[in-house]
Amino acid sequence: MDILSRLDDIKKDFKAELAAAAGEKALEEVRIKYTGRKGELTRILRSLGDLSPELKKEVGKKANILKKEFEEAISSSREEAQQIKARKKQEGIDVTLPGITERLGSLHPITQTMEKINDIFVSLGFRIAEGPEIETEFYNFEALNIPLDHPSRDAFDTFYIEGENLLRSHTSNVQIHVMQTQPPPVQAIMPGRVYRPDTVDATHSFMFHQVEGLMVDEDVTFADLKGTLSMFCKSMFGEEIRMRLRPHFFPFTEPSAEVDISCIMCKGKGCRVCSGNGWLEILGAGMVDPKVFEAVGYDAGKYTGYAFGMGVERIAMLQYGIDDIRLFYENDIRFLNQFR
Amino acid sequence: MRLSYNWLKEYVDVHAGPRDLATGLTMSGSEVGQMEERDGDAVMELEITTNRPDCLNIVGLAREASAVFNRDLNVPRAEISETSQERMDMECRIKAPGKCPRYTARIITGITVKPCGDKIRRHITSVGLREVNNIVDVTNFCLMEQGQPLHAFDLDKLEGGRVIVREAAKGEKITTIDGEERELEKGMLVIADAKKPVAIAGVMGGKETEVTESTKNILVESAYFDPVSVRRTAHALGLSTDSSYRFERGVDKGMIKPASDRAAELIVEEAGGDIGAFFDEGALEVETPTIKFDMARAGRILGIPLETDQVENIFRRLGITVNEKDENILTVTGPSFREDITREVDLIEEVARIYGYHNIPARVTKLVPQVTRKQHQRKVLEKLRTILAARGLNEIMTYSLVSREAVERFRAISADEVGLFNPVSEQHRFLTPHLADGMLRSVAWNVNRGNRDLGLFELGKRYSREGKGKYSESLTLCVGLTGDLRKNWEEGDRKAHFFDIKGMIDTVFTGFRLEPAYERAEIESFESATEVKITGEKAGFIAECGRSVLDKYDIEQPVFIAQIRLDGLIKNTDLAHHYRSIPRFPSSTRDVSVLCEGSLPARQIYDAILESGEELIRSAELVDVYTGEQVEAGKKSLTYSIEYGLDTRTLKDEEIDSVHSRVKDHIRKKLGVAFR
Repeated sequence: MDILSRLDDIKKDFKAELAAAAGEKALEEVRIKYTGRKGELTRILRSLGDLSPELKKEVGKKANILKKEFEEAISSSREEAQQIKARKKQEGIDVTLPGITERLGSLHPITQTMEKINDIFVSLGFRIAEGPEIETEFYNFEALNIPLDHPSRDAFDTFYIEGENLLRSHTSNVQIHVMQTQPPPVQAIMPGRVYRPDTVDATHSFMFHQVEGLMVDEDVTFADLKGTLSMFCKSMFGEEIRMRLRPHFFPFTEPSAEVDISCIMCKGKGCRVCSGNGWLEILGAGMVDPKVFEAVGYDAGKYTGYAFGMGVERIAMLQYGIDDIRLFYENDIRFLNQFR
Repeated sequence: MRLSYNWLKEYVDVHAGPRDLATGLTMSGSEVGQMEERDGDAVMELEITTNRPDCLNIVGLAREASAVFNRDLNVPRAEISETSQERMDMECRIKAPGKCPRYTARIITGITVKPCGDKIRRHITSVGLREVNNIVDVTNFCLMEQGQPLHAFDLDKLEGGRVIVREAAKGEKITTIDGEERELEKGMLVIADAKKPVAIAGVMGGKETEVTESTKNILVESAYFDPVSVRRTAHALGLSTDSSYRFERGVDKGMIKPASDRAAELIVEEAGGDIGAFFDEGALEVETPTIKFDMARAGRILGIPLETDQVENIFRRLGITVNEKDENILTVTGPSFREDITREVDLIEEVARIYGYHNIPARVTKLVPQVTRKQHQRKVLEKLRTILAARGLNEIMTYSLVSREAVERFRAISADEVGLFNPVSEQHRFLTPHLADGMLRSVAWNVNRGNRDLGLFELGKRYSREGKGKYSESLTLCVGLTGDLRKNWEEGDRKAHFFDIKGMIDTVFTGFRLEPAYERAEIESFESATEVKITGEKAGFIAECGRSVLDKYDIEQPVFIAQIRLDGLIKNTDLAHHYRSIPRFPSSTRDVSVLCEGSLPARQIYDAILESGEELIRSAELVDVYTGEQVEAGKKSLTYSIEYGLDTRTLKDEEIDSVHSRVKDHIRKKLGVAFR
């Protein structure tokens, strides 16, 4: 038989078989039969060497065109077959069955709040400093200008361990460590766990967390303190929050202030959370008392600074609307899973 | 401290309603909490800070209001001349001048004890004091008006004609006005007559000598007691009174006599009688340091420009005397009632709070941008938390203070514990030397509430005593797994077991590109205990909690726990990533099923594979563990899939087959095992 008409027959047969092939498996059989390693076309291409030069050129060209044509046809048929299969499969499953999920854990709300506070101050250029929870009276009291046998010490009721050793009642001890180990300028925050001998109830805990901050340099003013705290409050609680400073007393700062923000529940109108007065106290702050500088050997004539401190639990409770501090330490997963 | 709006108005005409007054006081440092308006008056509850005892009376608060609202203050001053020098054979002496530097007593005779007049009664009840009789009410009125605690004795009940200020002897007793008999400690300061204590100095008077309806003659005490002495006595007796509260904080050293005069004047008005002798013992120096106030410096610290007139006016209103004015420097003296003002910075605060913190602008220019890359430790912990939460674990936080039982129960994993001298309860007496108690408490809490499938972790500290005055705080990871780890309609339930907790720890270390080593260990209270080592150093353990321990927490289901110290992890972690080229030539795998004794640790087979010296081995992985019908009893079959490859070319099948059989030979020779 004429080899060229043989090619025509092959093409005819291929088309018929392709049309008849149902499914990917059948298509693959057709592919192997025609363009596979031992397929009809391949065999012809391999036998070209036996032909006259002219015929070889003509047959070769035609066979190659056919091969490409066949491959494209199979490829498009295969795609179609896959789509049909997928459609069939989808029709066959109940997509409303629950997905196969993995458990998703959570970070503790105190961790989340603390990290949020840390991140704000880090973005303002503060570095993070940490120090020991088991401290001496010097770092917890003396260096901070809190005298023994003075009513101001009542606010810093403390767990004692033995001798001069105690559990820190605030993270201010780290301020002293930081200033002892580096000259000004200092711009740092001190997050950590603190202890005070309170009986546990809905609003009290003998253990809680604080973040304190310290900035010392030449010409640091009360206006800088206000500026920094205002940036923090807006970053933490929202642009619309208002802040006010009230004079207060802390042994380690002078002038000292308590910092209120407009109530985040009622926006300052007055509600149960803010005891009706529209303000929530969230921070203590002030200009570092010269006596603190003396204790760490800073030149109080040259440097000024500000310090501030806040309770992480209090802020978390306000932000999440939690009304019982004990929830943080019971670790009920119905509570924890709400903070995923 | 309670404040009556009407009472305050008697000393300063503030031209402000109660609400504005409250705001003014709050914003100048005397925080007004609750306010109750009734009968045309308003009563406010104030929080007075410990440095401002001068605000613990109405005149003191009126002074604040006069500064805030810039209005004149009228302070009542009594002027009396003693009408009689009759000393009635009285003797008055101070035997403890360190604790009582000045003591005054005034005799008033021929009084009539009866209910007090309306005005005084109205005022003292408005601030929450109980009315007693005209004498007691007047002393209370004076206390509230100008802050000096006073006490009136029934003169005729003081035995031996003596008033002695002395330290109590051990075991001396006194029945105080509240009817309680109190045993005194040695050194507590008392007022005594010839025989017995008649008052606890600065704290409370005695019942026996109190003024009653039959009292005719009285002795009115006005004195200065040492704050620390009063504070210690009041604390030791568990007794805090209006009087002790003020003495502890320091009363006005300049008010001892004026207060006595004011009381005498009012007593005669209310109860008649004659003012008699005045005893004035001891000496009390009123120290009012002279301070230089640098206007420019103050302005710099506050961040506002200050004007001399403005500052002078604030000082005058607050009772601070300006002695000299020299361009930028004011030389001032604080009043006797402001012992908190000793330094320039104290004056700066005065100016700031009357000027108003709200009038000081905010600025942010001072913040110094500095390199604040997150510290290594913080980054490691953040990554650790992220991995564990993503693996389905809930982070918990537990109390660092635990009971003695909690320490003893895990003695095997506890270093020397750190105890508290003054715990709030036995439940929280020790700083925890392990995280197991907190973990099991949290598990128990949830299991008891029907939530039995738990994966929890804590990043906490373990505390231990390392010697006298030496302590360590060690950052530690604790993981707890219990119940079903997976529950779904396709695969069913899957209870947590040992290899889940081990896998969890493996996953963590994979995240830090570290490979821990595990070694069997015996740890009391735990089963399947396994020591975890990082780069050869002990880091902690993984285990199943023993039944006896779980019983202590009423937990019935198995709980798996891991406790890993983080110092090694933090130290050995390199958070920076360093790229190595990916193999360009494909690898091939061959399986080997090792048939061995059931007791042979799988790790030995794994090590034997890797040690077989074949450079072509890229990895080996255990894919199956089998015991059962197909193998002899007491034996097990472990199937490892070994990956072979070369970086320079693709390996031929024959090459792989020959290497694989050499690996098998090595394992057989090393461990004496067979192959299936």
